[in-house]
Amino acid sequence: MLINAVLYDGQTSKEHEVTIDFTFGRRVKIASCNIDVALEDVVIESRLGNTPRVMEFPNGVRCKSRENDKIDQLLHDFGLRKSKTHKIESSLVLTLGSVLLTVGFIWFLLTGGANYSANFLASILPQSTLNEVSRITISQLEEHYLKPSKLSQGQKEVIQAHFDSITKGEKQYYKLHFRSSPEMGANAFALPSGDIFLTDQLVALSRDKEFRDILGVLAHEKGHVVEKHSLRMAIKTGVAGVVIGYMTGDISVIATTIPTILVNSSYSRAFEHEADEHAVKELQKVGVSTKYVAHLFEVLSKAHEKSDSNSSFMKMTASHPLTSERIAYFYSYAH
Amino acid sequence: MEHHIEEVKVYKSFVFEGNAREYFRIWMVNIALTILTLGIYSAWAKVRTNRYFYANTYLNGSNFEYNADPIRILIGRLIVVGVYALFIIFFQYLFMFEVAGFIAVVGVLAMPWLIRQAVSFKLRNTSYRNVPFRYSGKIGSFYTFFILHALLNIFTLMLAFPYSYVKFKELIINNAHYGQADFNFKGKAGDVYAIYIQIFIWTTLLIFAVFMVLGLLGAGVNIIFSEEIGALNASLQSIPQEVDPELIGSIVSVFLLFLYILFIFWQKGFVDGYFSNFVRNKTALETAPLKGELKPLTLGWIGASNIFAIVFSLGLLYPWTKVRYLKYTLEHTSFACQNYDQFESYGYEKGSTVGEEMVDFFDMDIGL
Repeated sequence: MLINAVLYDGQTSKEHEVTIDFTFGRRVKIASCNIDVALEDVVIESRLGNTPRVMEFPNGVRCKSRENDKIDQLLHDFGLRKSKTHKIESSLVLTLGSVLLTVGFIWFLLTGGANYSANFLASILPQSTLNEVSRITISQLEEHYLKPSKLSQGQKEVIQAHFDSITKGEKQYYKLHFRSSPEMGANAFALPSGDIFLTDQLVALSRDKEFRDILGVLAHEKGHVVEKHSLRMAIKTGVAGVVIGYMTGDISVIATTIPTILVNSSYSRAFEHEADEHAVKELQKVGVSTKYVAHLFEVLSKAHEKSDSNSSFMKMTASHPLTSERIAYFYSYAH
Repeated sequence: MEHHIEEVKVYKSFVFEGNAREYFRIWMVNIALTILTLGIYSAWAKVRTNRYFYANTYLNGSNFEYNADPIRILIGRLIVVGVYALFIIFFQYLFMFEVAGFIAVVGVLAMPWLIRQAVSFKLRNTSYRNVPFRYSGKIGSFYTFFILHALLNIFTLMLAFPYSYVKFKELIINNAHYGQADFNFKGKAGDVYAIYIQIFIWTTLLIFAVFMVLGLLGAGVNIIFSEEIGALNASLQSIPQEVDPELIGSIVSVFLLFLYILFIFWQKGFVDGYFSNFVRNKTALETAPLKGELKPLTLGWIGASNIFAIVFSLGLLYPWTKVRYLKYTLEHTSFACQNYDQFESYGYEKGSTVGEEMVDFFDMDIGL
């Protein structure tokens, strides 16, 4: 079979128009350049779109030919191994399959996969590591935002007793910290170590003498710890960053800002719901109505509306969106 | 009277024959196979992608070739990822800051050497007409360059950056060769200062224009719809529980973020246009000059609209944007050579891939 090609001898950049003859005796001959070698000594590169096919001859000689189809036929006729990649790329079904596989994989990573990997990571990460990370976060917060609590000993004891009622007998370590924080305002948050913080400003909004509404908040925060939300959030942010980075070919601004926003806005609602479900279960277990916490959330959401124009910090840390659905959710379990 | 015979320079532009449809398939299959092989295939994917782009780049009717060996790339990649993983493990999980610090210091000390390796890798794995490019810069010159210019820029508060930029280009281009022929770079720091002034003026004008338009739009909306907005506000207040007051705020902030992203990518293309032209216009292979004819404003537009296309196609238009950008930059670059047959080869060389993979992994731009 005859193939038209250009030959480069590898010594200079000179171009020679040649005809390559692949003979039945499995020899490859280029008469004009006195080349006559065994077929096995010629490396024919895999096909890549319609780019000129490179054929490597001994002694650094290279030929390039645009007759891709003829060369494919030739490889077939001589029973030479053909790269499968071009076959996949030129098959519509397999390309579509690749799209589906990729989309499915990314979807899996962002949904179930992140949970699996978070659980997996959580199981191999020693608790001491989580504690260490939490300790660093706590010391940062203590330094900048948290002050000693001004609650009375009596108030603390009532709330502590509630806290013990939902955490006693658990394998996981839990500790409640009372703090005052004018910067953070009415707030409660949990760290993966099991340390749960409650601000005086939140307690001040309580409308129940027995602080049964605060119990609901604590049960909600415990839910975050049980479901390992902070770890899952971190993993999802990381995964979204990698995916977007790969897609845009850019690991800079986009990859660091967008995933955080995406993840924070869309996932935090799901996480809040999970923690709410957990809170409802805990409250039912200790026989406290959910109406108290529902009422507190109502008060809180009104306070939030008033304050949100003047405190940018509130907005930044508003990872607990107090939507009417959430309040209604708690009311629906109240009796 | 003596006539000086001026050589007539015939510029030929590069031609890019790749197309989005073909590249889409290569890209998609690359990703799928990378997922199925848990990342191992990524080295082959990189070679296939680069082979595709190089082989579709033509100059004077002949195309370029990318010759990197995927196995070597895989090894380089594993080393870089391994070292980085060790660093992260020691730093973020085991809190052994001494060990993490040691890895970081070694990494920083190795940086100039690795960057030189990356430059050399890119050049020696590129060939044209079966004659490979090569790099002869010395490791010592890289250490001297980075130490001197780091200090210089610290003491001048980055004001000397254009000078450092030109010196870096000299270090790269004056040590680059095509076979036996040498590249040379004749740029001056003054040119770079001039470019920065132009970029500054244009960018300021653009930002000013955007704010003007936004202001006018905002005012217009207020005047035309003031009654409707009043009504809307009233209805919002009557059902405060149902409508999230933060909603409007978040729509505005998403819009502003989007504008900001468009701006970042516009500016990237815009700056790229100026600098590519500058480097091309000051570079020659022996006496054969390169020429850059990119329009920075056009390149900025391509960059911004590309990111728009990527976001709204959820990434599926990425191959189209990549081909579009490459086609524009290559087809606005030309080269004037008398005789394309004259170059003698120095032969193919092999070497380490760690530097290249480091640059790739951390997405560093060494400007080649």
